Amino acid sequence: MMQLNRRNLFAGAAAAGAATALTPLMGRNANAGVAPAGKQVPGVYRQKLGSFELTQITDGAARRPVSNGYVVNISKEQAIAETEAAHYQKDQVIIPFNPLVINTGSKLVLIDTGVGPALYEKSKGAVGQLHTNMAAAGIDRNAIDIVILSHFHGDHINGLRMADGGLSFPNAEIKVPGVEWDFWMNDANAGKVSGYNKGAWGVPRGIFKGLENKVTKYEAGKEVAPGITSIATPGHTPGHTSFAIASGSAHALVQSDVTNIPQFFLRHPDWHVEYDIDPSTAAQTRHKFYDMASAEKTLVIGFHFSFPSAGYVEKDGTGYRLVPIVWNPSI
Amino acid sequence: MTTLTRRNLLSVAAGAAAATTLPFDHPVRAATPPAGKQANGWYRYKVGSIEVTVATDGIARFKMAEDHVTNIKRDVVNAALAEVFMEKDMMTTPYNPICVNTGAKLCVIDTGTGEANYKKSNGVGGQFVTNLAAAGIDRGAIDTVIISHYHGDHINGLLMADNSLTYPNAEILVPAPEHKYWMDDGEMSRASKGRIETNFKNVRRVFNADVLKRVKTYDWGKDVVAGITAQGTPGHTLGHVSFVIASGSDTVFVQSDVTHVPFLFVRHPDWHAFYDQDANMAEATRRKVYDMLVADKMRVQGFHYPFPSLAHVEKYGTGYREIPVAWNPII
Repeated sequence: MMQLNRRNLFAGAAAAGAATALTPLMGRNANAGVAPAGKQVPGVYRQKLGSFELTQITDGAARRPVSNGYVVNISKEQAIAETEAAHYQKDQVIIPFNPLVINTGSKLVLIDTGVGPALYEKSKGAVGQLHTNMAAAGIDRNAIDIVILSHFHGDHINGLRMADGGLSFPNAEIKVPGVEWDFWMNDANAGKVSGYNKGAWGVPRGIFKGLENKVTKYEAGKEVAPGITSIATPGHTPGHTSFAIASGSAHALVQSDVTNIPQFFLRHPDWHVEYDIDPSTAAQTRHKFYDMASAEKTLVIGFHFSFPSAGYVEKDGTGYRLVPIVWNPSI
Repeated sequence: MTTLTRRNLLSVAAGAAAATTLPFDHPVRAATPPAGKQANGWYRYKVGSIEVTVATDGIARFKMAEDHVTNIKRDVVNAALAEVFMEKDMMTTPYNPICVNTGAKLCVIDTGTGEANYKKSNGVGGQFVTNLAAAGIDRGAIDTVIISHYHGDHINGLLMADNSLTYPNAEILVPAPEHKYWMDDGEMSRASKGRIETNFKNVRRVFNADVLKRVKTYDWGKDVVAGITAQGTPGHTLGHVSFVIASGSDTVFVQSDVTHVPFLFVRHPDWHAFYDQDANMAEATRRKVYDMLVADKMRVQGFHYPFPSLAHVEKYGTGYREIPVAWNPII
């Protein structure tokens, strides 16, 4: 019996040149080859929640190093070590962006909008995929009835606009957290943020310009759309909001950015990502949210979870761990 | 501000019935009907210059037989299912064949449950060729079909529902010891009644004259085609094979059925699935393979892993744990 070891495993690669010794039986001439497809599947995943139909649609993913301040309250070395523990390339993390469409039966609702099509070309298609993936999912952006925004960071709001500045979802009502609106639209607050958020300060102004009278502010603890209730989860931003979706006896949580990537911040809920405006409050929110999600065994959908961006949370040591859902090839 | 509590999370569910009475002020438009259809189940990644396309064949979901895990009591199995947030007594088995474009050859490794099962299961299984087509891969363009072992979920897809060849232009490469065993009349006459005997009959049904004309056997430890090496991993069946795909310094281990579903048998390598023909040999193989995957930090592509069925492996407790590779929205 062939022994399974590293040596003979890798012998295969070295011996590759010998392989053509196998005589092709039929078909094309040997080694004619088929060009690689070079294209990823549009990232779309559907599931039912009671009578609701949920469609997770990826907007793409960004790659960044961690050694330049991704986690503000641990050492550079610790952050780099964690990339390897989490099976990333050394000093790299991948941050995916995954908006969610909910068909409640009466309304077609989009929660968060991705980084926007303007970045699609610029990123060579790595991000800004929402609008094309939505079309691939058979969802017409003109059919979206309600856009709900969780908070005002660019990866959540910029997709409201097409590359030419036009509205991406022209027939949709736009619902924003009232606390968030009041914070970002008041320049008296500009001095309260630093770092990433300082750079991001003008972003909401630009996106909402001319929409001031069109947006509807919502409060925490209210039904924002049928079966979709806002939950205040502050810290990441002052008005940051998560959502509970309920249909019949089925329910799920849409966490928004209670964590950035779970590989880091579910495992280490007390680590502070540089995007948090009030990191201590964000950490408290995180503990509360995941204690609840794990106790209730509630499905959690996460904007920055790996696509298809849904899973269950289990307690694990001093932190938590995400157990991704098992992909269901039919619905 | 509403605080985050169990009570208000669950009150959402209770309040859902009232939701439709809320005054949503958008002009009335016809509701968008649900799509009612899962997205195409395919996913692409590179191994060096080789392009791998995972195309799901679907799943089977069934009530477990009492001896599904032959050496473990049902309540222990149910506890393991609860740990991964799955329903007790139910087994969800994904089937995920792959297509490998080596540059020279377009290969399929294993064939799924076949078109006949697509019809029989109302599309829940037997999806492989439709998902392959959705990925832009024509079954007529496949040069080489590589079979890992002779169970129905791996070979039945060699035939369409009308018993014509699924891959009319392909040679069919099969493991020599596996072919010898299942095609041997003496072995068949000595086979135990039930599953093994049924499998002998199925092998002879699938390997009809048309298929046999295209069959060529390969040996363990040899390149099957350039870039894909066969590794004998016996136990599940006596001639069972895994593969190493290698290009440049990059590798992935295509395990076939070294484990059945990872959430039971990667976590608990000493558990014996009733599918394993020689359970002790299968367990020894499992430990050897997984120790190697951990030591070499090699990714594993698992036929019965949840789609897209590509994972890293870690040691965990007395067994191992699979960590799905973060979905890459580009390739």
